Amino acid sequence: MSTLKVDGIRSNSASSDAITLASDGTCTANITNRSNRNKIINGAMTVHQRSSSVTGITSNGYQTADRMLLNVSTGTFTNTISTDTPDGFGSSFKIDCTTADTSLSAGDNVLFKQRIEGQNLQDFAKGTSAAKQFAVSFYVKTNKSGVYTVELSDIDNSRIATKTFTVSDSNWNRYTLIFPADTTGAFDNDNAVSLDLIIWLAAGTTFTSGTLNTSSWASKTNANRVSSSNVNIADSTSNEWYLTGVQLEVGSVATDFEHRSYGDELLKCQRYFCKAAEKGGSDHSAGMGTNYSSSVGYIHVRFPVTMRTNPTLDQITGTSYYRIFSNGSYETFDSFNSLDTATVTPQCAEVLKSGISITQGSANFVRYQHSEAEIRFSAEL
Amino acid sequence: MAYPTNPIYKLQKDPIYGKVCAVNKQIGDSEPYRILSIPFDEANTDYQEYLEWAKTNTAEAAD
Repeated sequence: MSTLKVDGIRSNSASSDAITLASDGTCTANITNRSNRNKIINGAMTVHQRSSSVTGITSNGYQTADRMLLNVSTGTFTNTISTDTPDGFGSSFKIDCTTADTSLSAGDNVLFKQRIEGQNLQDFAKGTSAAKQFAVSFYVKTNKSGVYTVELSDIDNSRIATKTFTVSDSNWNRYTLIFPADTTGAFDNDNAVSLDLIIWLAAGTTFTSGTLNTSSWASKTNANRVSSSNVNIADSTSNEWYLTGVQLEVGSVATDFEHRSYGDELLKCQRYFCKAAEKGGSDHSAGMGTNYSSSVGYIHVRFPVTMRTNPTLDQITGTSYYRIFSNGSYETFDSFNSLDTATVTPQCAEVLKSGISITQGSANFVRYQHSEAEIRFSAEL
Repeated sequence: MAYPTNPIYKLQKDPIYGKVCAVNKQIGDSEPYRILSIPFDEANTDYQEYLEWAKTNTAEAAD
């Protein structure tokens, strides 16, 4: 056995060591593809708590894959979680145009977006002399060839940087875009949105009539946000567009996609959206609580992770969707009244129901009574 | 419980103290409906949307 004794390992063309060895037998390494480098949550589209397929989309919203916002102001789309993927992935985010708009109005847009909290972006050192570049990468497959615009939008300081990529075939391809560092305008260190990663799929002249900022960040001007050559994904009902493997990382190198386990990704997603219980059948347990009076009951729901902020109660309701059990009997009802601002926190909520006939002081438990019934909590950006 | 479509928001009261405790918004006009119950938290984006709406509109009073 022999020992290689050196103080550092460096590329022939580099100006600093990739690995530095210390006299105490330890080393430090400048590794680019380390864990937790991807700022995008659910970049592999594995988690889809709301639905795996939504049709008739004509407005903005979170439809299928968690954390993936689809903005639609023109045309009609179906959004599904697809198993058509590049090698090494299990899911992709697919949109399919079902009603076309071949002539965009000035303010029309169709875009994909992920919104990112400022406290998760501090290592970009934006707004300082040590500011770092932004490496964006993703896989796209589409039959709509042409130019697409990718925008980074600094919400805190109203600044943008843009790049384009060109789709020239209908295969899965990986695209990597390196955005410049920005020494102006720091990201706020809080739980509010600081950065939007946007892929523009259609844009009217409100967004395309100016000049792109491809080499540096600049103040946000709507006219400068999108290439005038950008495709219009809404121009034909034949158009399909798939996306997966979305990654945003610090630095000038777009590394291989960081795959995370389903469980880890789900926990990250639940900071923004979670459920008291999965829908899908009668008698799914929604929670337990107490009958405050003979007509008012509360159930207490503790979230699986601390949410981003006090969440909205988002309930799916209809005739006889829920049932409360207590003191040897039950009562069926359509919906809960509300949650309570005074008692909700990012960790838990009390959900109240009034106007029912129950026994004061008894414990209760609530079950779903319809396959569509569902109690969800949302703290999206 | 009837929900308004215009205005689209309705205030809710806490039955214990009788104070307004949230604002609700119904989405959809046929079953199943979605009812959002929005806390008064300025970091909540649904509440931000409500505040923007409330600049030129008034929510329906609580029952």
